[in-house]
Amino acid sequence: MKKWFLLIAVLLISILVLSACGPSTGGEEAVSGGDAATAEPSGGGEAQAEAVELTFSVWGDPEELAILQEIADAFQAENPNITVTVTVSDWDTYWDKLQTTLAAGNPPDVFSMDAPLYLDYQSRGVLLNLQPYMDAESFDLSDYYEVSLQCYQTEDGYYGLPRDVQPIVMYYNKDMFDAAGVAYPDETWTWETLVEEGQKLTLDTDGDGITDQYALWADLWDMELYWGAAVWQNGGEILGEDFSKTLLGEPAAMETWQYIYDMIFTSGIMPTPSTAEQFGDPFESGNAAMTPAGHWVVPYYSGVDFDWDVAPLPMGKERVSMVNSVGFVAANASKHPDEAWAFLKYLVGEPGQSRVTSLGLGVPALKSIANSDAYLNQPTKAINHELFLQTMDYARVKPCFRGYEEWATLFGDGMYSIWLGEAGLEETMNDLVPQADAILAEAQQ
Amino acid sequence: MQSGIHLRKGEKFWLWILLAPTLFGLVFGTLGPVLAAFGISFMDWDVITPPTFNGIGNYTRLLADPTFGKALKNTLYYAGVTVPVAAILSLLLAMVMNQKIRAITWYRTIYFLPVVSSTIAVALVWSWIYSKDFGLLNYALRQVGIEPVAWLASSKWAMPAVIIMGIWGQLGTGMIIFLAGLQSIPQSYYEAAEVDGANQLQRLRHITLPLITPSLFFYIIITMIDAFQAFEQIYIMTRGGPANATTTIVYYIYRNAFRNFKMGYASAQAVVFFLIIMILTLIYWRLQEKWVFYDG
Repeated sequence: MKKWFLLIAVLLISILVLSACGPSTGGEEAVSGGDAATAEPSGGGEAQAEAVELTFSVWGDPEELAILQEIADAFQAENPNITVTVTVSDWDTYWDKLQTTLAAGNPPDVFSMDAPLYLDYQSRGVLLNLQPYMDAESFDLSDYYEVSLQCYQTEDGYYGLPRDVQPIVMYYNKDMFDAAGVAYPDETWTWETLVEEGQKLTLDTDGDGITDQYALWADLWDMELYWGAAVWQNGGEILGEDFSKTLLGEPAAMETWQYIYDMIFTSGIMPTPSTAEQFGDPFESGNAAMTPAGHWVVPYYSGVDFDWDVAPLPMGKERVSMVNSVGFVAANASKHPDEAWAFLKYLVGEPGQSRVTSLGLGVPALKSIANSDAYLNQPTKAINHELFLQTMDYARVKPCFRGYEEWATLFGDGMYSIWLGEAGLEETMNDLVPQADAILAEAQQ
Repeated sequence: MQSGIHLRKGEKFWLWILLAPTLFGLVFGTLGPVLAAFGISFMDWDVITPPTFNGIGNYTRLLADPTFGKALKNTLYYAGVTVPVAAILSLLLAMVMNQKIRAITWYRTIYFLPVVSSTIAVALVWSWIYSKDFGLLNYALRQVGIEPVAWLASSKWAMPAVIIMGIWGQLGTGMIIFLAGLQSIPQSYYEAAEVDGANQLQRLRHITLPLITPSLFFYIIITMIDAFQAFEQIYIMTRGGPANATTTIVYYIYRNAFRNFKMGYASAQAVVFFLIIMILTLIYWRLQEKWVFYDG
């Protein structure tokens, strides 16, 4: 009897433990917003085409859902035989769901893609090759920012196309600069200017002995916000040309880390991540005078009660910024690849881009729209939107390579100990770089 | 372990009928994936393309993975603190809740609430409690003159913060189990002890504690397994950070399986982790003879 009981107990324990690793269904599912009113092909007229239902999945906020639904509706009006169901998820849920549906052979027909992650999907054969369609229609790519296409281009053509680009610029709080009597940052600013002027902007405003206004806050987890461009500005490289070597332990990169470290622990113009965390977004909360970011923050910053604008990133040895893009891809497993292409083309083309631009979440990948009123006079705060376009001239694309996610997490998490002041620079880098190269080697197999 | 239940003829039929829905779910919904995980642990599988056989490659890799070691350490830290503290606190709580005081069922309900609340929602509330400037906890600390702490953003304090929430979440279950245990102790033992002149402390020491050991034994097992699997609170509150300070095994398994395209490796971790838990449980099981007292 006791043996039996033990056996059952062991079985139960194994079930409890191992089942935790299976994909959990249900739970925090995405916000489904597909209330496509015009579901049926409205009888009569276009009886020639058979009714097709497309699923379209994106990550984002509820505000985006409304505009994407609008785009889907407009597309449906032009193509009455096609119904598009839009699903919006938060970032993490989005990727969980995508992998699970891909594994089950039931992915959304069209879905968004973060450019650095693109190759991890493309190389596994789950994306639809768009090249045959583009060739058949002589699809014109000349209006796209060249840098926006770089990640999507593969040996056998495009498996995805960009919707918007995110060049990084420096946001600054005009009120804080005015109060400190510091001239607004401009293209003359260098790394040294940032630290010099930054000290005048680092203040203990309520006199309790604790700094509550910092000159700068830069997210140091994701290279996109600051450190990637900073390494380049110092003449360094993040990865070798064929993405098999991590160069973040090289002298140019080490100098960059030291520069950032000194801003936190020597001049103190930047808070540690744990101090910053309490403010939420230190720039938005009025605790940092400057912060580097892409255009996606503009709608959120439009609601703050201080005046702000944007300036170029302070220059290092070179003037360079980083740009990432969000694009759309179609599933290879889609039952309606022709219709999926038609919708994808609509999303990344003029109809989709001009509508999405009004949200102010990014810079359109199409130059004609970026230079039009839709972008330059968008309904968000009237700031120097043109600066983002000028930045495109010297912005380099955020590295996109197989194994990106794992590689980026290694550095994001690993370097955090440095920024918290808990680990030394040299030892951390000596520890991380070999691990990073192992990830790259494995990913390229 | 003599069962007191003897089934009559017709009852056996109904027993299986009533168990069927659970068994069905267990066998097809859970046992299947469990066996699959074991099989997948010998494969190289990115979830998307077909798996290839990899022998024990995933297991040898585990030995050289510093993050797995760190995750294991974090998990032991989490469970090692959560389990004993939760056991002691919930036993004390059960003793208090065993008194005949007004509105006692209300108090019991309040303490049980965390158990039936969604971990996700609870973790969000705790994130707010732990917030450095606006959080309830630091507000309380400031009142008594203690410097605010960036609870979830510091690699030193993030784990204790997650542990406190874990213990809080475990108290309700423990309270119910120990209440049942306390109430099944025959009143006559206490009366006899009182006649013999035992004071309250002696009654606790020689009657209550020995007779509550089966409940304690049971509670520690389920809490231990639960603590080893800490995931939701970490997913919501810290994402395994800062600097992997709160990356537990299950969180690391999730990252490998669903972020790093390494389902095979993740499965191997799950299998190894299962073995660790099983061995600990068996040791614990063996030790029960030394301290668990089964009455009658």
